[in-house]
Amino acid sequence: MAFLELHEVVKSFGRNTVVRGLSLNVDKGEFVSLLGGSGCGKTTTLRMIAGFETPTDGSILVGGKDVSRVPPNRRNLGMVFQNYALFPNMSVRRNIGFGLRIAGKHGAEVERRVDEMLELIHMEEFAQRYPHQLSGGQQQRVALARAIAIQPQALLLDEPLSALDAKIRVRLRDDIRAIQQKLGITTIYVTHDQEEALSISDRVAVMREGLIEQIGAPFEIYNRPATPYVAAFIGTQNLLGATVIDPAAGIVSVEGQSLEAGHPLDAKVGEELRLRVRPEALSLGRSGPNRLGGRVASQKLLGSIVRLVVRVGDTEVFMDGFNDPLLKLPAVGEAVTLSFSPEACTFAEPGAEPIAAAALEDEEETP
Amino acid sequence: MKKRSRKAFSWLWFMIGILYFFIPLLSSFLFSLRGKKGVLSFVAYQHVFADPQFLKTFSFSLEMAIFTVIVGLALIVPTAIWVHLRVPKAKPILDVFALLPFVIPPVILAFGLIRSYSRPPLALVQTPALLVAGYVIVAFPYIYRSVDAGLRAMDLRGLTEAAQSLGSGWLSTIFRVILPNLRTALLSAVFLTFAIVIGELTLAVLLAWPAFGPYMALVGRNLAYEPAALAILSFALTWGSIAIIQAVSRGTPGGRSNLGGTH
Ligand SMILES: Nc1ncnc2c1ncn2[C@@H]1O[C@H](COP(=O)(O)OP(=O)(O)O)[C@@H](O)[C@H]1O
Ligand SMILES: [Mg+2]
Repeated sequence: MAFLELHEVVKSFGRNTVVRGLSLNVDKGEFVSLLGGSGCGKTTTLRMIAGFETPTDGSILVGGKDVSRVPPNRRNLGMVFQNYALFPNMSVRRNIGFGLRIAGKHGAEVERRVDEMLELIHMEEFAQRYPHQLSGGQQQRVALARAIAIQPQALLLDEPLSALDAKIRVRLRDDIRAIQQKLGITTIYVTHDQEEALSISDRVAVMREGLIEQIGAPFEIYNRPATPYVAAFIGTQNLLGATVIDPAAGIVSVEGQSLEAGHPLDAKVGEELRLRVRPEALSLGRSGPNRLGGRVASQKLLGSIVRLVVRVGDTEVFMDGFNDPLLKLPAVGEAVTLSFSPEACTFAEPGAEPIAAAALEDEEETP
Repeated sequence: MKKRSRKAFSWLWFMIGILYFFIPLLSSFLFSLRGKKGVLSFVAYQHVFADPQFLKTFSFSLEMAIFTVIVGLALIVPTAIWVHLRVPKAKPILDVFALLPFVIPPVILAFGLIRSYSRPPLALVQTPALLVAGYVIVAFPYIYRSVDAGLRAMDLRGLTEAAQSLGSGWLSTIFRVILPNLRTALLSAVFLTFAIVIGELTLAVLLAWPAFGPYMALVGRNLAYEPAALAILSFALTWGSIAIIQAVSRGTPGGRSNLGGTH
């Protein structure tokens, strides 16, 4: 039995059903991310676990005990908020010790535990400061320390890094993961940032409209998306219009060029499908069995990655490669051949994807 | 050129404001010193302090102010917190309530109180409780506005939820988290209430209590220099209490950051 369980949890606000029978099992010590676009119900789900919202239906179990109706202050779950929510009237030391003093711990014990926490977040020298004297990243560290000081049964984080600069975000996210692994604390992490979710989680749950669309290890989510939505939501996909030529042999034609699917297709001859292939699965040259000829339309430098935009017939195809200083990229207008393996292709019904793709344009979360 | 003239202009306005404020104060002060013919003296002040009625009425009003503050805060602070957290839709209703004391003249309020509370089971006219009740109504807008502004200035929901997730129940959340962050707002509510209650005239007269307001009115009608001395005294008291409040809120940790209401 899992340590934290959600059974068919439903949450409605008036007539608006926000979470629609969501089930989730999290093992002890596991780090699970809830990933999804804005408004898909991530925060609501987390708040139900924390006890700030009561499920309309279903149940939430922690350690085998149904806590659905237990008030938040009796659940012993640590919570970290997007805007830190540190107590402005208390020093860092008192903020971290707050939960312990509430629990009636003795002065010396509180001090010892607070010192431990300060060491854990590397902020010993800031103990006497007040929240307004700290940077955003430091405040969030203190908030994290405050939440785990009480040795909660689980740690809940709601977009804890969204208010921070990109650089600090990456550092703090690695710190969060390191601390979580060191303490072995069960963690649920809400984010709309797929890179964040994929990089620190044991498992990622991709949410859509109040349900979990797919849950699995980051590699699984990325490489074997179970639904068109997940495929479109995670990473970048090339979508190519493909006509079925030989379903049994798995042969299709894209822009008049024949390609292998690697497996038989459940479709009729002449049927239109969509072929999905990730930009990083493509390479220049004739190394793979599937080849597409086209002309370079442009190059984009994305930091460590170079993206080549190649025009194949009427379609623009992205190809990503490492930004190697020795790399000699083809010039714009040059004819190139892209190749990829049959295993890199997946297929979908036409029209299935643009809808899902539209749902990912939500970089900004309203707090 | 243009910039300079604009600056001069704002200074001019500032000076006019200062003069508007200080000239009456200064002339009252000078006038209060003329109790003895030909020389400047504090004889008017001596008279004021020598009058046993001064101390009696003043301490009565002070007592009323203290009760008003206690009852008012006990009534309004939890209500405001509750409305902010749980029923934000009810805020406009409270806002309307906060206007009523300005719309309803104190005379009407006094007669209403007398009519409602002069018969059993609520024969309160004989007790100062009714006066305090009236003062709470009069002070309500000031207390509510201060508390409301204080609650707005902090992340009430976030802080409350953070405290709850750390195991804190409602009482400790209010006393350890909300009230300390509300200190400046509470101090200004207390101060405004004192200022209102100590000078209040209508309710005290109509409910027939020997308060400081009626005493000042009486002195003002019968004497010349002493009222000016009283005015200066109450002014000094007012500024004295502001200074005390400032000192108190600066002396404690966290007070500094709270003085501006937020940061
Ligand atoms: N207290 C509430 N009352 C009414 N609607 C709410 C409330 N909280 C959230 N919602 C609605 O529920 C939906 C999901 O919200 P939320 O869980 O915050 O999404 P996410 O965190 O995934 O962006 C949104 O459409 C939001 O407007
Ligand atoms: Mg959210």
